[in-house]
Amino acid sequence: MFLTGDIHAKSLGLLAPELVLVAVSLLILVLDLVWKERDSSRLGWISIGGLALTSFLLLLAFGRSGGPEHETAFALVTIDRFGIFFKLFTCAALAVVIFFVMQDRRERKSHIGEYYFLLLGAAIGIFFMVGTNNLLLLVLGLELLSLASYSLAGFHKAERRSAEAAMKYVIFGGLSAGVMVYGISLLYGLTGTLDLRVMAGVAQGEGVTRSLAQAITESPGAVAIAMVMILGGFSYKMSVAPFHFWAPDVYEGAPTPVTTFLAVGSKAAGFGALLRFLAVLFQDGGAAEAVRAYGLQVGSLLALLAAVTMTIGNLAAMRQESVKRMLAYSSVAHAGYLLVGVAAMTSEGFEAAMFYLVAYYLMNLGAFGVLLYFSGETGEETFDSLDGLGYKAPLISVAMVVFLISLTGLPPMIGFLGKWKLIQAAMDPALDGRLLWLVICLVLNSVVSLYYYLRVAKHLFLKQPAERSVRPAPALTGLLVVLAVLNVLLLAYARPLVEWTSASFDLILR
Amino acid sequence: MGLSAYLTVSILLFTLGVICIISRRNVLYVLMGIEMILNASSINFAAFNRFNGGGLEGRMFVIFIIILAAAEAAVALAIVLNVFHLFHSVKPSEADLLRE
Repeated sequence: MFLTGDIHAKSLGLLAPELVLVAVSLLILVLDLVWKERDSSRLGWISIGGLALTSFLLLLAFGRSGGPEHETAFALVTIDRFGIFFKLFTCAALAVVIFFVMQDRRERKSHIGEYYFLLLGAAIGIFFMVGTNNLLLLVLGLELLSLASYSLAGFHKAERRSAEAAMKYVIFGGLSAGVMVYGISLLYGLTGTLDLRVMAGVAQGEGVTRSLAQAITESPGAVAIAMVMILGGFSYKMSVAPFHFWAPDVYEGAPTPVTTFLAVGSKAAGFGALLRFLAVLFQDGGAAEAVRAYGLQVGSLLALLAAVTMTIGNLAAMRQESVKRMLAYSSVAHAGYLLVGVAAMTSEGFEAAMFYLVAYYLMNLGAFGVLLYFSGETGEETFDSLDGLGYKAPLISVAMVVFLISLTGLPPMIGFLGKWKLIQAAMDPALDGRLLWLVICLVLNSVVSLYYYLRVAKHLFLKQPAERSVRPAPALTGLLVVLAVLNVLLLAYARPLVEWTSASFDLILR
Repeated sequence: MGLSAYLTVSILLFTLGVICIISRRNVLYVLMGIEMILNASSINFAAFNRFNGGGLEGRMFVIFIIILAAAEAAVALAIVLNVFHLFHSVKPSEADLLRE
């Protein structure tokens, strides 16, 4: 635990991406005070530049970290490809979100630097959350992410809906974080350590520690309680039922760029941390038979949650009159789809979930971007406000149709390949068809989702052309078209992406 | 006093916290309930560390929980204050613009 000087220097070098992010976020805060910005774009581009530099450092680290031994900074932060995958994902998502903030026509431009500062702060939280095997650092990262998200949800202080969203978020968030910390305290009591690798028995801890295998044989009930509590904390971040209640209200009340961040960045962080937790504790890596059997039971619990989550999300999404709320429920449903891969509890399943996250990034960022544009023009978020706008803004509307088809999971979009890989993982012969019912549930739910996704397209193109005119937004249109093209193109050229996700995963245990 | 005495107190505190969150209609009580849950886990960490041996991890976690609780209370109270300005109430049931 106590390290000498040159190890400190080495650790700081390993943490370079995080340090760059901290420096940029502080710079933004100071510049905001000095410049007294009215126009958001200067600070926005600095933030995006900082994210680009961070991504570059992460890519360098990705190339370096292929070996069998992982480097750790300060004995807490593990530098492995799995963590770097999610950090890159966060940077990419955040750059688009910050671009959305700059393009948001409803955004009041005062104190805009704080907006970027909070977003970057949330990213730092995610970095530590997905990059550690230590439960203490995991909780601290999660809380940093949560605290930034609460403030972001209530960023429009004078708007009642925004304030209400922030209050609901902070109540649910505080409760589930408390439950999760209590679960971790039980797990600590059972094993004597906070390090996942020591629990799994692949590393030596300090003091008196016991492996999870011993804990399971001696007191299975207590381990079960601890696991359920910890999974509850993850479920809240991923908006998985029964911890999804906050999602629709918060997503609807928060500013649209923040909603986008919560739906993509925050959810992916929850999945990243959960995947690492499960992979280190329950997967091969020399885990004992008792642990593996226990892992399968956790898998069945997750399969149940997956089925409930996707069904609740889809059924509720059908009844919405607000497009934003519909997308909120749709993101709950997608959390359910993602859990199908996790529930398989195999490397293939985890890789499929990671691949689906990339697909989810492409299609969901696009859908929220289109919503951002139209709600900025009409001032509303209802289905009716879109009537006939497809003819006024054809490029964006066609891109929206691409995103919606991708979200449904139909070819020729990447969403189809994502779902295909999830189904493939759940039908793995090693599972003896135990998850067949879940696959049927997933397919049925996808059919249901077609109804409410295509309703948007119906309002855009099949209603009377609107009287109103819309202002063009060339930069936003450009980005959305690029995302739409990627949705199609990456289906045809998916191989490098698939290889990249599995290269990110397969080294997690060593 | 053995470990079980500490665990009993912690479980009681946890249960009271959850009851407080579920039954009270006032946000301030809900926030207090969250504090109680966090403190229950602090007791757990300190007790396990004392009785099961082990390194510094448990004690470190206690210190960080105190920091967490303070940070969370600061953000939560700021948000609640803003809600009070806009709705003239701190009851979640009276701030219900967002629903089906």
